[in-house]
Amino acid sequence: MKTQIKYRFVLLVFIAVFSINMAFQGLYAQEVEKNRVRLKLDYTKVIGHYAFLDIQASTRIEKRNIDVSKITIKVFNEVDDEEIHLGEVMTNLKGESRFIIKDYKSLVPDSTQVYTLGISFKGNDLYKKASKRMRFRDADITANIITKDSTDFVTATLKDTYLDSLLVGHSLDVQVQRLFNPLKISEEFNNTDDNGMILVPVEEGIPGVNGNLTLEVVLNDSDDYGTVKTLIHAPLGVPIIEESTYDQRTLWSPRDKTPIFILVVANLLIFGIWGMLLYLMYNLFKISKS
Amino acid sequence: MRVPNQLIKDLAPKKFDKRGVIWTIFLTVIIIIGIVAYIDQLIKGQEVTNMRDYALWGIYISNFVFFVATSFVGSVTVAILRLTKNSWRTPLVRIAEIISVAAIIMAGITIMIDMARPDRLLNLFVHARLQSPITWDVVIIPTYIVLSLLLLYFPLLPDLAILKGPLEKTQPRLSKLYGKLSLKWTGSKAQKVLQEKSIRIIAIMIIPVGLLLQTIDAWLFSTTYRVGWDSSNFAPYFISGAFVAGVGALVVVIYVVRKVKKLEEYITDSHFDKLGKFLVLACLTYLYFNINEYFMPWFTAKKDEMVHLETLFTGSYAWLFWFVILGGLVVPILVLLFKKGRRPKSMFVIGILVVLGSWWKRFIIVTPTLLHPFLPIQGVPESWRHYFPSLHEWLITGATLAMAFLIITVLVRYLPVIPIQRTADEQQMLQSSKKSES
Repeated sequence: MKTQIKYRFVLLVFIAVFSINMAFQGLYAQEVEKNRVRLKLDYTKVIGHYAFLDIQASTRIEKRNIDVSKITIKVFNEVDDEEIHLGEVMTNLKGESRFIIKDYKSLVPDSTQVYTLGISFKGNDLYKKASKRMRFRDADITANIITKDSTDFVTATLKDTYLDSLLVGHSLDVQVQRLFNPLKISEEFNNTDDNGMILVPVEEGIPGVNGNLTLEVVLNDSDDYGTVKTLIHAPLGVPIIEESTYDQRTLWSPRDKTPIFILVVANLLIFGIWGMLLYLMYNLFKISKS
Repeated sequence: MRVPNQLIKDLAPKKFDKRGVIWTIFLTVIIIIGIVAYIDQLIKGQEVTNMRDYALWGIYISNFVFFVATSFVGSVTVAILRLTKNSWRTPLVRIAEIISVAAIIMAGITIMIDMARPDRLLNLFVHARLQSPITWDVVIIPTYIVLSLLLLYFPLLPDLAILKGPLEKTQPRLSKLYGKLSLKWTGSKAQKVLQEKSIRIIAIMIIPVGLLLQTIDAWLFSTTYRVGWDSSNFAPYFISGAFVAGVGALVVVIYVVRKVKKLEEYITDSHFDKLGKFLVLACLTYLYFNINEYFMPWFTAKKDEMVHLETLFTGSYAWLFWFVILGGLVVPILVLLFKKGRRPKSMFVIGILVVLGSWWKRFIIVTPTLLHPFLPIQGVPESWRHYFPSLHEWLITGATLAMAFLIITVLVRYLPVIPIQRTADEQQMLQSSKKSES
């Protein structure tokens, strides 16, 4: 009887410990220290087309910069303390994302005609919440091609849209659009003159599809205006001659494009030799009949 | 068609003695083991081999190249000696023809073994690109098989007709088979004209076709732009190598057949002496092409070539390389240059050395190059950087070699290894010329 009571007591204690453990499990959980996300924001406007925001999210762990991937970032347009929601993007494996503003004219400036765009991350189990804002004014670039003494030039004028004033002393880059990186044809510093203008010669012999070049005039990463870019399409290049042998009969082409000389020589050999072999077999038949 | 009875008695195929039966059983067992290994390879795939991403051609391909090379003996000995009217060839040609047939049939089978999916064989014809040396190979091998069979068959016709009679009572089935295979040969003038004309055509044809076969085999390698293969020397190098392998194999088989069938009267020491001279010429030619093949890359010392050559000269393949060069070429040349070295026994030993050297030579042509790609070998297990055949590969390759021996054994058992009619004609001509002299 005494033993039975002892066993019941042990069972009771066991259940009690188990229940307390379950109920206060949180007491034993380790607090995870969240890292801070650093957000970087760049605004680019391609005049007449669209604008976009390049976003980069990173963090610093053990003195190393780490890209923060797969986090959702909210994009908004801030006007007098009011946030107009523009959309959301998710960072890729490099911690980057691009938010495209199809109609940049729909962005709303504040009363001083300054635009404020912001991004925010609401935080998660690993990272603290973070946000970033950038302020810029709207600038415009008007670019044209002119010809002087049989040399083609790109001429461009930079002005502040709201103030309608020419912008002097800002460096504009002139470059040819390419698949990966643009080909810069202007000098390193190409500042606008007193008329807010630049004049850059276009060298001869730049290759382009059918001789067409897409030239870019860019105000690069300005503190006041962000990046502003305008495009000019002009037939100033040398047509690219495609040296593809795709339609030709080559040694490396598929079987339906075998070079004629191989077809002729190989078939002559094959049919010639097999013709003789058949003749020899016929001779065997003739021997058996003679 | 008068043939002395003694000649028929001497040259007609005879039943195997005890040694012959044991030899045949031995070969059959090796073949069965190889077939079992091959079935396992078919089920599990090429994974059972040690061929991987880099060493994607292994022992199967080197064995294939060896068979192709050996089959050249038909072109070399039979056709060339026939066209140059060397009468001493008579007792040797049939054995050469038999080796040629066995080797080229096994070359065709070996390449299918390497394919891993033999059910897709037809694709090689259906989707053939005539620009590809692989397609040329697919065409030339069946062509050479048919040509070699015809080269064996046409001269056999009178002998089969001769053998039909004596066996009628003792072995009626075999006699009937010989009768059918002889195509009602009576030795009439019309038949002789047709036969001689056909043999002449084959003898002329088999030389360019044989050269084409060896050339295509070489081009399979030299068109791939790889260190050790990218050489304009490759086609003549392969042809001279085939010359060596073929004559070496012929010497070995002739020695064994002569001994087993007691044909010392017909295959004399003089035949071995002549074959020895033939073999030394082949070895010297091949040595010359070997020097060309290795000296120029060594002299110009391009970086990739040097890595390859160092592996052969002093690296992991050095012992094999020097065995092939010294054992398979230099020693045979030194021995065969002396008359004593061209005696049957020493010729047999030299023949074995040459054949072994020829087989391993193909291995060191195929494998080291594959392990020296232009881009460094990266991101693969350590074992993929080296190649040594797996047990499956050895068993299957052993079976293909045994199968070649079995084909030779069966043909030697059922066919007269020395042309009976031709020998009788030659003896008759000799006697009549002696009579006219006296």
